[in-house]
Amino acid sequence: MDRDKADQSLDALFDAARAAPPDVPEALMAAVVADAAAQMPAARGGGSLVQRALAALGGLPALGGMVTATCVGFWLGLAPPEGLPDVGEAIWALGTENTTELAMVDVYDGGWISGIEEGFEDE
Amino acid sequence: MESGAASNAVGRARLSCGPDPDKGSLMDARLSDQADRDADADLLSRYAAGDAAAARLLAARLTPRLYAYAVRVLADEAAAQDVVQEAMLRVWKIAPDWRAGEARVSTWAYRVVANLCTDLLRKQRTVALDAVAEPIDPAPSAEGRMQDAARLDALQAALTTLPDRQRQAVVLRHIEGLSNTEIGGILGVGVEAVESLTARGKRGLTTALSGQRAALGFEDDG
Repeated sequence: MDRDKADQSLDALFDAARAAPPDVPEALMAAVVADAAAQMPAARGGGSLVQRALAALGGLPALGGMVTATCVGFWLGLAPPEGLPDVGEAIWALGTENTTELAMVDVYDGGWISGIEEGFEDE
Repeated sequence: MESGAASNAVGRARLSCGPDPDKGSLMDARLSDQADRDADADLLSRYAAGDAAAARLLAARLTPRLYAYAVRVLADEAAAQDVVQEAMLRVWKIAPDWRAGEARVSTWAYRVVANLCTDLLRKQRTVALDAVAEPIDPAPSAEGRMQDAARLDALQAALTTLPDRQRQAVVLRHIEGLSNTEIGGILGVGVEAVESLTARGKRGLTTALSGQRAALGFEDDG
């Protein structure tokens, strides 16, 4: 009988505890929500438009390679090594009058490579 | 509270949080009623897809339950906050890899809290026996309060006298209202072990509370 009374007393305590859960501190809830925002899978790759574009290109290492390739290409266009056609000169019409004429001919003939070859012959 | 600002004690607990809650015996904690969909899992899935509103809903569903559990087990509100924030952080992190249908999200989160609490309590015991968590606002100050408040204080004080596993089992079973199967998944034991833990825990509480029945207004109960 005493055991029954003890159990009933305990059950009453459990009921009271269940009915009065501790209040969640606002700071805790705010921290949990902030963590959720920081950890959101879509947000992990987020950031500004520039950051997202950079990430799409493969990040800084890939960007470094692209810059290097661009610089080399630009330099080859301006000052091609001997043996390579001076494409920059042909396109930008910076060379001789003869080359300019060849470039113009290329455009109208629909075959600028053959025009460049002709330019070689002139040289 | 800043993200990642958990106390050193919790930080240590993170390193030894026990077995991966996503594996092992938690598999046994599958839904007893498969027809009862896990709404928390749906919210977690939506969160993984980038739905911030789902995260807020899931936080509102889980955080109060986990906090209540942690407070009653640790009897330390500050430590409970750190534990719950860490547990919820792990919920967010596992979202992309969550395997729906294998376990309830709440069961998984409870288990993380249980492991963190166990580790904290173990470390507190090894630091100093007299530093074990004091009950929140212990019973002697209950004079002049409502009797329900005195009862809750007495229960909390009695809970802190129980061994860690018994305390967790009793809180989960009799206050949080979880099934023995769920508790088994959380504590990593079988149903029979859960029954044993809760039975011994109740006997321990009865012993701890003996002599206070009259003070708590149970003299004429039953």
